[in-house]
Amino acid sequence: MRTSAIIHQQICQLRWHLLACAGLIMVLPIEEAVVGLWEGDGFHSIRMVYAVITFSPLLAGLIACANVQGDLSEKRYIFWRSKPANVKKLMALKFFVGLTLSLTIVACPLVFALVSTALCGEDLGWQTFKHYVPVPIVVAMMTYSLCFGCNVLVRNTARSWLIGLFLAGFALVIPLMLPLGFKDVVTDIGFRAFGFYPATIFVTSVAAFVFALYAAQHDWHLKTNLRELLWVGTGLVFLLLILFSSQVANIRVLDEKEVDGSRWAQGTLDKVGDRLIFEGLNYVDVGKRDISLHEIVSNGASVVNPPLYGNTGMNSQGHQVIYGPRAKGYITTSYPRRLNALYMDTEDGTYHFGIIAYFRLEGEGSRKEKVHEKVYLRSYKLVGNSWRVVDELNISDFIGDRVNYLRMAMRLIDNTLVACVNQSYVVADVTDPGDLRLIDKRLDALKGNWSLRHMDLQSEFDIPIIPVEGISIEERIKLSIDLRYRFSYFRNDIYKSSMVDTHNGKIAFFSVSEQGVAWFDVIRWDQKTAYCKFTSVRPFTILEGMIWAASSLHDRTFVENGKLYLSRQNTLLVFDVRVSRGIRKLGHFVRMDWNIEDIAVLDDGNMLLSAQWLDYMGAGHFEVRKRYLCLLKNPK
Amino acid sequence: MFRMLLWKEWRENLWKLWFCGAASVVFTVMLFRIRIVPDVSNCILISLIQMFVVPVVYALDIFSGEVSNRTIHLLFKIPVKRWMIFFSKYLVSALGMALIFAISAVLMELMAHGREARILFLLKTNLLCGTAGLFLFTWFCAFGCQSRSEAGSLVAMFGVFVGWGIAFFWATTCEVSWAVPFTPYSLAKLTQSSPVVAIILQSLISAAVLAIACRRYVGIRRYL
Repeated sequence: MRTSAIIHQQICQLRWHLLACAGLIMVLPIEEAVVGLWEGDGFHSIRMVYAVITFSPLLAGLIACANVQGDLSEKRYIFWRSKPANVKKLMALKFFVGLTLSLTIVACPLVFALVSTALCGEDLGWQTFKHYVPVPIVVAMMTYSLCFGCNVLVRNTARSWLIGLFLAGFALVIPLMLPLGFKDVVTDIGFRAFGFYPATIFVTSVAAFVFALYAAQHDWHLKTNLRELLWVGTGLVFLLLILFSSQVANIRVLDEKEVDGSRWAQGTLDKVGDRLIFEGLNYVDVGKRDISLHEIVSNGASVVNPPLYGNTGMNSQGHQVIYGPRAKGYITTSYPRRLNALYMDTEDGTYHFGIIAYFRLEGEGSRKEKVHEKVYLRSYKLVGNSWRVVDELNISDFIGDRVNYLRMAMRLIDNTLVACVNQSYVVADVTDPGDLRLIDKRLDALKGNWSLRHMDLQSEFDIPIIPVEGISIEERIKLSIDLRYRFSYFRNDIYKSSMVDTHNGKIAFFSVSEQGVAWFDVIRWDQKTAYCKFTSVRPFTILEGMIWAASSLHDRTFVENGKLYLSRQNTLLVFDVRVSRGIRKLGHFVRMDWNIEDIAVLDDGNMLLSAQWLDYMGAGHFEVRKRYLCLLKNPK
Repeated sequence: MFRMLLWKEWRENLWKLWFCGAASVVFTVMLFRIRIVPDVSNCILISLIQMFVVPVVYALDIFSGEVSNRTIHLLFKIPVKRWMIFFSKYLVSALGMALIFAISAVLMELMAHGREARILFLLKTNLLCGTAGLFLFTWFCAFGCQSRSEAGSLVAMFGVFVGWGIAFFWATTCEVSWAVPFTPYSLAKLTQSSPVVAIILQSLISAAVLAIACRRYVGIRRYL
């Protein structure tokens, strides 16, 4: 048979489908244009063009089924098989003619958008147009191929259309479902999901086309039943959901306790000894599957937080008192942000430490600047129901030239307290916490902080070790790395956690970026310098990357007992970092409307989360609806 | 005789009740347990999917199945009025759909038990979507009761969805507020306010549509 005759026959066969589909796809753009004209905006359409283009794979599939079904009905099949036609050539021509017509249909709204916006002088939004339009077109081509192949096999228009669409959806969802049954296929078999989409679409399309040729050649015919098809389809969707939840929701929630808003300030969870303290006011008692809060009581009265603004407090008689001479007009800032966070229990009583900075606001209107004038390292003691200042070190000379914002960090190592402000640090012996004994004080000894660009770091690099006497070299290296790479003005947890893992004499640390989690090893060190090198990276899967990128940038990264915990706004990821093959993901927890405030790893291994449930109010504003403490099972 | 017809339709369509019911229960339990998105979003997602899928499952072969299986000849030879045959099919489908939505609505409410959304909000949302689904199915009966194949039924159902979608889009974007309650989709949008007016209006329209559908079904000639 002549090629031109086949093409002509195909066009004639599909002409009504072509008109119907073109009409269907143009309804909404034309409606939008008419509505725009009615309202005086001009006869043009953009928004609805994007909408109908998104649904164009449905129509492409319909054209595919209509294209092939006509010649596969029982009687017609016998007729054309009796002709001296090459089956493969005939099917290939049918395929490409139908594909061309499908693309013609998809092109209609695009041409309409281009022409109408050009005539009306409207902005098309070329960047969006250029980036978005190719995606549904490529998906439409894949859907077309799959529906074509299905119809050759099933020979029932409705069923093959549904099966084709389902398979296309399946092919699109599969890259998101990785790592399938593996806990972490990225680490286990070194699979990288990026670039999977183009490969999937291309391979699927070609495979469907080749399959269709062979099925037609050998007259393969699959008899189907609607009931079984629906069950199988639903089973596959269920399987996908299982895989999906195993990836992003495999951390089990053991208990969830709603917390009264009046108790909530920053949702901090801190440890003193083996006890967990929430907001500095409540002990958290965690059972195997439940959480309860108990107020911290001292001398029969509930403890109150020390006042953030100034160092006033309540004495044991319940009268407000002011400790220390302080001038009016100053505002106070502190580190840690929740002041009573860094605890120390002694036989003498309970103490906590904090850095308090006093500043004034200078300038006019919105251009006010903070001018810091005084900074103190203080020790507070729990007396009655309030915290009293029992000792302080004046470290105002640490302020230096940096007046607007202070970099503050602190860590208690055994009985040695290291407090850093800007580039300077002070070391105090707190064996008797009521008496801060100065061991060392150095100005401008810390040289800035850096962000790790682990993809670029292929060679060795070195980190100056903080020259603190009285603590082990491992602790000094940990502190140096944390101060250098972990500091953030918004969420600075250096006082209670670290991004460094020390195990069997080896020191490693971890950093997270949009691409994945990077592993760095400290390969050797001396008293002044630690020499590090980039070891490996565990890239995010598409799904992890999407969730990670969708949340805000304030993330928390820390290592505890060989596990790396990453949290960012609504997501918590847990990785095992002591496996020989690299970083291995263990668990994933996500609640799209939550804001995770703090995480504590309990002694039994489980995790406690403090989080707020946010409600989006529009225009970038959120409203806190509820607050939760959430007990999570730590994945193994 | 009508009871026998009802029994026949019930037996023939029982698998749809099992299928949709099981799928609804499984997906509801799963989504409400993993709670990646808020309960209200889960409820709306499940309800909207049910609103489109459940009527399609019932519509696919409720009328065309008799033609493609060639049982319509036998059915029409039974000494019973044709409108009874039509209504037996419609009532059994409506009952099945109502049961499916009721089960999933109660399940959602029990699983969420006011932890995020107001008490009974999820139940109301799901049932309103179910009502909208039933009205869409009624429209399908008018257009698809003479279809001879699944493809025909699917096209009829697709036409109903798209047609009312265009009307709903027009009514909402052009702010033609009086037209909104005429579209079945308006019920899925009315969870925050009282949907009584829309339900009454839709019921009256559906009654008329059902009468037309019945008349079309009774008037089938070509297969006999």
